[in-house]
Amino acid sequence: MDIKTIEYNEINEVMHVYEHSSGLKAFVIPKKGYSKKYATFATHYGSINNKFVVPGESEAIRVPDGIAHFLEHKLFEQKDGSVMDKFSALGSSPNAYTSFNQTVYLFSCTDKFDENFQLLLNFVQNPYITDESVEKEKGIIGQEIQMYQDDPEWKVFFNLLRAFYKENPVRIDIAGTIESISQINREVLYKCYNTFYHPSNMVILVVGDVDHRKVFEQVEKNIEIKQEKPEIKRIFPEESKEINENYVEEKLAVAMPIFQAGFRDNRLNVQGIESLRQEVAVKILLNMIMGRSSKLYNDLYNEGLINSTFDYDYTIEESYAHSMFGGESPDPEKVRDKIVKAIEDLKTNGLDRNNYERIRKAMKGRFLKQLNSVESISHTFMSVYFKGVTIFDYFDVYDKITFEYINDTFAGHFNLDNLALSVIRPA
Amino acid sequence: MLDRYNNAQLYKIDSFSGITIYNLKTEKFKTNTINIFFHDNLTRENASRNALLPAVLRRGCSRFPTFRDISLYLEELYGATFDCGVTKKGEMQIIQFYIDYVSDRYTGENSRLFEKAFDLLFEIITSPVLENGVFKNDYVEQEKDNLRKLIESRVNDKMQYSVEKCLEEMCKDEPFGIYDYGSVEELKKIDAKGLYDYYVTFLQTLPISVYITGNVEESMIDNVIKKLSNIKRGNIKETNTGEVVKEVAEVRNITETMPVNQSKLSLGFRTNISSSDEDYYALVVYNGILGGGIHSKLFQNVREKESMAYYAFSRLEKFKGLMVISSGILKENKDKAIRIIEEQLESMRRGNISEYEFDSTLKTIETGMKSLMDSQLQIVDFYLSQSIVNTNDDFNSFIEKIKKVTKDDVIRVANKIKLDTIYFLTGTEA
Repeated sequence: MDIKTIEYNEINEVMHVYEHSSGLKAFVIPKKGYSKKYATFATHYGSINNKFVVPGESEAIRVPDGIAHFLEHKLFEQKDGSVMDKFSALGSSPNAYTSFNQTVYLFSCTDKFDENFQLLLNFVQNPYITDESVEKEKGIIGQEIQMYQDDPEWKVFFNLLRAFYKENPVRIDIAGTIESISQINREVLYKCYNTFYHPSNMVILVVGDVDHRKVFEQVEKNIEIKQEKPEIKRIFPEESKEINENYVEEKLAVAMPIFQAGFRDNRLNVQGIESLRQEVAVKILLNMIMGRSSKLYNDLYNEGLINSTFDYDYTIEESYAHSMFGGESPDPEKVRDKIVKAIEDLKTNGLDRNNYERIRKAMKGRFLKQLNSVESISHTFMSVYFKGVTIFDYFDVYDKITFEYINDTFAGHFNLDNLALSVIRPA
Repeated sequence: MLDRYNNAQLYKIDSFSGITIYNLKTEKFKTNTINIFFHDNLTRENASRNALLPAVLRRGCSRFPTFRDISLYLEELYGATFDCGVTKKGEMQIIQFYIDYVSDRYTGENSRLFEKAFDLLFEIITSPVLENGVFKNDYVEQEKDNLRKLIESRVNDKMQYSVEKCLEEMCKDEPFGIYDYGSVEELKKIDAKGLYDYYVTFLQTLPISVYITGNVEESMIDNVIKKLSNIKRGNIKETNTGEVVKEVAEVRNITETMPVNQSKLSLGFRTNISSSDEDYYALVVYNGILGGGIHSKLFQNVREKESMAYYAFSRLEKFKGLMVISSGILKENKDKAIRIIEEQLESMRRGNISEYEFDSTLKTIETGMKSLMDSQLQIVDFYLSQSIVNTNDDFNSFIEKIKKVTKDDVIRVANKIKLDTIYFLTGTEA
């Protein structure tokens, strides 16, 4: 068995990698002394993959919105009942989540890792979907969708995505709508499964105090190659370079307006570590412009225009990228205008190198803290894995990023034509 | 045997003038943390003041007089995180000041971060920014405004709101009915002078507990003791967690309307069992079987069998001996949901509990307890809670007691639990 071991001495971590003959890669990040063992089995298939060519067919199909998430729910159903019950009997908690780009199955346990891991490997590879169970699930997911409809933070986020993008499926709710899930049936679920759940499109990660050799042996024994590695054709619509709308608003049961604003980023021609570098650079800039140590944040706070809910982030994926910042505010337009003013001032006066150095150091320290938690490690690992990098590459990016690159990114990202604002006002 | 990684054992280092200092030494984490807690009884007049006080103190201290100065300094300390706030534990209000920072091993230099981090926290608590001998008026007024908005914004998270509101309504004539952050009415009465006078008493009289976790040298902790012993202390206030046993004369029904899509049903119960009772461990098991996970009766019946909800759970408030059941449902399913929940309660009373339900629950609780040991924050919270109710359990003794619980114990507990309040949050009529 060919195992690769990478040591990260500066941060005192190790990662073991093993590649299965199917093309699936498995990773183990040992965490000595931790009680929890956290295993993840994920596929590179998320809510945005709603149009594709099923292997062996010639025409592309458009599947109902929310189907990747629906399939995630249904995989837990097995021939002999729900696999959740089996995890429960072992005292562990299985879970799963579907994001725009991936579907992730996981469990967390403190005991009997091998048995739990066996369950995970088996159920994800063996769908058992019946017409009856599909119908039953519609009631449960219907309530999940309704719950999100009442969540102002979820709504303000998706409304901003819809302002950024006219066509990109990232604008569609991950769980779909009650109407779209009503069209889901057994047959189309299997089509999605057969397209995207081939081991070569998947990854396994275990974080915790485990013997990596035993983990890899279990992977080796239990990953089945049922068919040839399929060619997956994912089809994305053409998206205009311009944002869809620069302002969107909705009313909900909230006490004070909630907003998210941000810049859509058309610089998508980056891959792997370059994509991480772009992400880190924009995050450093956001921290410099509107972080808690910035003049802008403190002015806005002192004027009562923002409160401690204010936060910011940057996302970059294959077909979309954008920054977002927001929170609660009595006057979101005014906050946006002041942020625009601060950015324009910086364009005139230039960025401060000391400021940049201090923030880079702080952000690296804060990133390091994530390694305290097996969940955080797993979650961050999965969020970047299908870009061809791992969580540990961030440290290299933090070390090697330059002030010149930050300046280039500043010029490239904060384009006022790409700025949009989404507001939820009290109903 | 001492294991330098996996030793979630807490040591009491010292105790004087109502200040107790604990240390948990471990190399498992990348960070060290310092927590300073002030303990108070939950009362109407103090709740808002206790909530406002940390919000004002975090704005600045004499060495770093603005929030921006503090933020700049935290960045210098390799991205140390500082925060503060309040929570309620039963009928006690806990005021927390917290800092974490990357331990020296990972900063690549001898940066003496512990001392710097502790000093910052200590100065924020003990050397506030003053103006004419009292708190700076701007800070007080701005934070009053922020706190008012925070109280008003409770409704944003409907799931949490419906659970908290149910318990508050149920205990509206008891201290537990007070919201963690107090009320807008009480907040209005506070000014800079009044808050400063209150702060002086706060610092002198409230019991304080200090928790240090991570890889911190003992000599450093000696310094902490020295500094803390410089705080001027008076008579230390007596605190208590409140009454647990209460008769329910009649079940109350409360309906609140808001423009929402999904209705939230919450049922509040008196368990009549406190966390220092012998029956407490059986209560934890009872709650686990009823609604503590995917094996539970509520999840299996309300969600999996009837497919009428995405979530359905029960949860304990251990200090006050309360239990709440909550689920998000369609408005028209209210009566049906209550009926199904009643059936589960009845089957608990009858001991209609399968081996699978019982064993899964015990194992799930064990996993949950062991998992707490992987987070510095949760370890500290566990021990803080233990100290509040004087139960002196550690993770292992807790698990051992849970394992001794029998089905008969659970049935006995089931018969003590009484429904008190049904709270329903539902959509406004069109």
